[in-house]
Amino acid sequence: MGDRMKCQDVQKKLSPFQDGELKSKDQDQVAKHLQGCPACQEEFAKLERVWQALEGLPEIHPDPEFYGRLIKKINEPYESRPLSGFQEVFQLFSSVIGCTLLIAGVLIGAFLGNFLAGSDLFPFRSTMASKSPETIEVVSFRVFDPVPPGTLGDGYIRMVSNTEIQHK
Amino acid sequence: MSRTAGGDEYAFEVLVRRHQASILNLIYRYVGDRTKAKDLAQEVFMRVWQAAKSYEAKAKFSTWIYRITANLCLNELKSAGRKKLIFHFSNVEGAETGVEALSDESPSAEDRLLADERSRQITDALQSLPENQRMALILKKYDDLSYQEISKILGCSVSAVESLLVRAKKNLYEKLTSRGK
Repeated sequence: MGDRMKCQDVQKKLSPFQDGELKSKDQDQVAKHLQGCPACQEEFAKLERVWQALEGLPEIHPDPEFYGRLIKKINEPYESRPLSGFQEVFQLFSSVIGCTLLIAGVLIGAFLGNFLAGSDLFPFRSTMASKSPETIEVVSFRVFDPVPPGTLGDGYIRMVSNTEIQHK
Repeated sequence: MSRTAGGDEYAFEVLVRRHQASILNLIYRYVGDRTKAKDLAQEVFMRVWQAAKSYEAKAKFSTWIYRITANLCLNELKSAGRKKLIFHFSNVEGAETGVEALSDESPSAEDRLLADERSRQITDALQSLPENQRMALILKKYDDLSYQEISKILGCSVSAVESLLVRAKKNLYEKLTSRGK
């Protein structure tokens, strides 16, 4: 039982033992135990086989042009660098959003224009509906008057005029 | 490094040439794709150039650059939706590859197809490891870094690195032997 516990303790230390990460005292104890313990030897052999298998992975060698391309990329203007995936998606997304907002703005403006032209809120509605197109055009130019029809000032002037007429 | 921080391109070139092979191979073993590895290695050195001014020599330069590399690799996998990168390492002539190395018998170097298959199996097994286990294993096996250095690179404790490596070796052994049957 005591030996089995010892084996368990040793087997927990086999990986750092293999990596040379144990304190020298522990390193010596594990090495000594391994010499006389076939079970722990087998466990350690598994780790060694994994390590050995990994040596089969080849290395790649840097391209001789690596630095040249790197420094060229570092020195090139920021705008001309290719965008990352996220940046591309963001740019596309912001363009779509921008176009959508523009179209929505135009449509809302058109709708509001029609709505106001058909309501009492629109200053020229009463005059426009009853006049010929030529007259409407002339009336429309009255927006450049000092007090355009339908404005607060126009309303005040009309109110004052009506009051004066009533007094007379 | 201080000369690089001052914008000295010659010093930067020396630095790149000194570290490019280890960085390139670290990324290659991690992501398993040659083209992607070259792109990411370039990105690592661009970040080194950009961050050179803010570099403080508290840690070894190699630890700092490995940390940049590890973060970039982990982020790359996350941005790729943790998609498994299917790849195949080309064989190096004379290199012992694959699960046959796990047996006590010598591998047959003449059977190229079999060698290719073994190479694929071992690289697939490596790729199937969880990200931190894989990175810790590569840093230990191929760059021969200490647990202390790996802990600084991965931002974890030394005992966590030890656990990662114990589990990585166990997982790798199981994957390789189960596929070899």
